[in-house]
Amino acid sequence: MTPLTETGSLGSSGALVAAILIGFAFGWFLERGGLGSAPKLAGQFYVTDLTVFKVMFSALVTAMLGAFWLDRLGVLRLDLVYLPETFVVPQALGGVLFGADFLVAGLCPGTSCVAAAAGRRDGLGVMIGMLIGVWLFNLTFDRIASMYSATPLGAVRLTDLAGVTPGVGVAVVTALALAGFAVANRIERRRA
Amino acid sequence: MNRTPRPYIDPYLAGIGIGVVLLAAYVVVGQGLGASGAFASVVASGTAVVQGATRAAASPAVAPYLPHGIASPLQDWLVFELAGVMLGGFTSAWLAGRLRRDVERGSGVGVRQRMSAAVGGGALMGVGAKFARGCTSGQALSGGALLSVGSWIFIASCFAAGYVLAPAARRLWR
Amino acid sequence: MNRLHVALAIVAAFAAAAAGVIDRGSVDRSHPGARAAAIEFISAPDLAQRIMSGDRDLRVFDLRTPDAFAQFHVPGAHRATAASLAGEPLAPQTQVVVYADARQTIVEALQALEKRNHRDVLVLREGLYEWLSRVQEPRLASSPTPEERAEFERAAEMSRFFGGVPRAGVPRDEVPQGYWTGLPRSEALLMDAAVKSVAAIRRRGC
Repeated sequence: MTPLTETGSLGSSGALVAAILIGFAFGWFLERGGLGSAPKLAGQFYVTDLTVFKVMFSALVTAMLGAFWLDRLGVLRLDLVYLPETFVVPQALGGVLFGADFLVAGLCPGTSCVAAAAGRRDGLGVMIGMLIGVWLFNLTFDRIASMYSATPLGAVRLTDLAGVTPGVGVAVVTALALAGFAVANRIERRRA
Repeated sequence: MNRTPRPYIDPYLAGIGIGVVLLAAYVVVGQGLGASGAFASVVASGTAVVQGATRAAASPAVAPYLPHGIASPLQDWLVFELAGVMLGGFTSAWLAGRLRRDVERGSGVGVRQRMSAAVGGGALMGVGAKFARGCTSGQALSGGALLSVGSWIFIASCFAAGYVLAPAARRLWR
Repeated sequence: MNRLHVALAIVAAFAAAAAGVIDRGSVDRSHPGARAAAIEFISAPDLAQRIMSGDRDLRVFDLRTPDAFAQFHVPGAHRATAASLAGEPLAPQTQVVVYADARQTIVEALQALEKRNHRDVLVLREGLYEWLSRVQEPRLASSPTPEERAEFERAAEMSRFFGGVPRAGVPRDEVPQGYWTGLPRSEALLMDAAVKSVAAIRRRGC
């Protein structure tokens, strides 16, 4: 039964080995898709290059459908997979700050590592910036702690809030993603 | 390094590849991918080196990242994963002829300006990722695939902010 | 390439539609046999033994209101809240025991301690009720079984140590019941759910 680490089949050292292998594959596909290039990533926000949207949402849908069906087929205990907690206001504000600066930096934390590994000094710059940012956050934590922990909802899924079944949620998200891909296709055809 | 770089692959296929990798993470280690947490782990370790492990662990912001004292990053799943990301990114770039010491930027932007934007933007991304409990890899992608409410809030606000500010940042990328 | 895209889209749409159809029944999908609790309980008699042996590495925290604490608390316990536990000076080898009268309070306290990496925490499962029933003011029913009598003798000894009054010959329905008498309580299930949520915040993060 999986997850292997939650059912005693894989220990912590095995998990760390898996981390490197999984990370390797992640970095590989990010680079192959061109997400290690800041101008390409920024193009998403100027609607000149919709690679970010295509990669992110096809990845999301793949993992989402895969997880749903592996759970249903009794291969994966989805309830044992770590579900992040929701903090409505901090995550909304954090998202805004993150998105604005993703635009400025041109790379996100993961893709900055890919860029840096391929020799891009701007990738290294973003990595250094991330370290500085986390450090600044830690320094001011006392003052922002209450804001940081505001509006907690616990670990909750969209389907829980909407009162629908997980399968319906999966179907809706897939439909939206496919519609998005169709729109992206049309935008690109118009530009060409 | 005179080879013509190979073209990028179809983004949908890259995405499906990443999706399978993410699914493998769920199945093998019961969690999704991530990135910003590894940076937090490294900062926590650095803080422990400078201040001493006890004093660092007394800070509520740093403590969760020091379950094993100063050497915690050496047992941190996300740190190992990011190391793998760099190896994978390097290998792919190398085999595709895309290894290049360079500062990628918009055509109208100088190196210094680009580097300032990278570091400054990176710093504020670091703050944003802390508030959001993750970044595009951890929240948007991994949490999003699990339909976590906070992850989708993050996706919406992250993309909205980027699109709203794009005109103002045009200078950086044109 | 475009035909491949269409094919992939069709596969995704099919998998998604099948998901929606297969799941249109109930919203509740609880998995039986959830992961074992990561929280450890201590029984009141065990706690009493520890206190009686003068264990220096033991700290007991009462998470109830100041009034309730003033009225009665486990001897040697200190009053605390989840917030105060976050900043409480605790040596790493200290064994912390907490009790409260609400599940949520326990969960918050455990989370606060988990966040500061203090994992050596035990919970007095039925709180002060268990302490009073099994240590401080034990009751023995009239016509007790041999097991009940033996249990009472042990409890009476502890009770005298803590200045309580053990009483025998009590009508059976006045003898306090709990998990230790085999009484199934739905609250035990609630505690298990709370315990699961605490285990889940073991730092993973992204």
